[in-house]
Amino acid sequence: MIVADLPESELARRLGGAGLRLRTGPLVTEIRSRLLEIADGVRLHYRDHPAEEPGGFADFHVRLVLPRGPRRWLRPQVLFQFDGAPPFYPLPAAQAFPVLEWGLNWCVSSHCHQYLVVHAAVVERSGRALILPAPPGSGKSTLCAGLVSRGWRLLSDELTLIDPGSGHLVPLPRPISLKNASIEVIRRFAPGAVLGPTVQDTLKGSVAHMKAPVESVRRASEFARPRWMVLPRYEAGTPARLQPLSKGRAFMHLAESSFNYSLHGRRGFETLAQAIEACDCYEFAYGNLEEAVELYDRLATST
Amino acid sequence: MRWHTIPPDDLIWRELDGELVVRNARTGNTHLLEPLAAEVLRALTEAQAGLTVADLVARLRDDAATEDEWSGAIEAVLTEFERLGLAEPQEP
Repeated sequence: MIVADLPESELARRLGGAGLRLRTGPLVTEIRSRLLEIADGVRLHYRDHPAEEPGGFADFHVRLVLPRGPRRWLRPQVLFQFDGAPPFYPLPAAQAFPVLEWGLNWCVSSHCHQYLVVHAAVVERSGRALILPAPPGSGKSTLCAGLVSRGWRLLSDELTLIDPGSGHLVPLPRPISLKNASIEVIRRFAPGAVLGPTVQDTLKGSVAHMKAPVESVRRASEFARPRWMVLPRYEAGTPARLQPLSKGRAFMHLAESSFNYSLHGRRGFETLAQAIEACDCYEFAYGNLEEAVELYDRLATST
Repeated sequence: MRWHTIPPDDLIWRELDGELVVRNARTGNTHLLEPLAAEVLRALTEAQAGLTVADLVARLRDDAATEDEWSGAIEAVLTEFERLGLAEPQEP
C-alpha cells in the first residue's frame, strides 16, 4: 500500500494517532503529528511512497508537536521530537514540513551507520550514478532537481548512502529541498514538477520542496554503482564546463563531506577509495541549468 | 637519527591516479600526500631499520636539485610526518 491509497481520513488518523509508518528506501519512519502542514506535506510529497502496516518495525519514531505555553496561541512553534526528545530548538509552526524534512535528514545522518553517509546528492542513469557533494549555496539541489526532471533517477538530494560491503549506492528518494532563487528556476525549467508551498524566512531563506519523481520512488530498491563524482558550483553567467579533478582530491572532498567516515575506520577508507576508483571526477561550474543538464546528458551517453 | 613510520598495521593507503591517500589509524586522520611525501612514506615503510635523511636523499634525489635542497625538502616532509603522527625519529 502506498500513501496515496490511504483515504484522507485514514492518513489523518494514523498521523494523529499511532503514527504513519512511511518507507523511504531501506528505512521506515513512524511519523506522528496533528499539524495540518504535516498531513498536507506528507500527502503531497510522499503520496507514492509505501505506507507500512501499523504496528510493525520502524527505524525512527518522530513526532512534530506544538510546544505548550501561551506562545502556542501568539506565535506558534513546531518541535521535532525523536524518541520523545527534541534534538533541536522549536521553529515557527509555518515551517513544520521543512522541519520534518530536516529532522529526517538528521535521523539518517546521525544513526544510519550501517552505511557510509555522505552529504551529497546522487542521481542515476543506466545503473551508473553521479555523486554531487557540495556545500549549501553551490547549486547542488538545483542541478539535482534539473537532472531528475529530465530522465535521471533520484537516489537522494541530500544523503548519499554507500553500502560498505558491496560499494552499492542505496536509494533514499525523498523531496528535493529548493532554496530562494532556485525555486523559481525549477518552476520555469520543469513546469510539470510538483512543488509544495514556499515557506518564507527559514534559517535557509525561502524553502520549497519538490516531490521525488514517481519512477524514482518505485525503483527505490534498485541500487546503483558510482560512476562520476562532480563538485558543482553555481556562478551566474558562467558557461557550463567540466574540469578534471584528481582522484586524490576527490577522495578528500568525499571524506570531508561524510557524516560518519571516521566511525567506519579502515572500512570507511576502503569504501571511499573503491567508490572514487570507479568514478571519473570533475569540478563543474555552471550558470544556466538548461546548459548544465544537456552537458550531463552528453556525459552519460559518451562515457 | 633514523626515521621510522608508525607500525604498518596502523597505516592504510591507496594510490589514486598517482596520488597517495593515507589513513593513520592512530589518529583517525586521512591525508593526501604530495609526490615527494608519498615517496618518503613508501621508502620508510620498506626500510624496517628506518632511514636517515641522508639515506632518503640517496634513494630519492635526481639532478633537478642540489643535495642540500633535497635534504631540506625531505627534512620538511619528515617534520610534517612527525606532526601528523605518521613517522617519528629514533636515536641510533
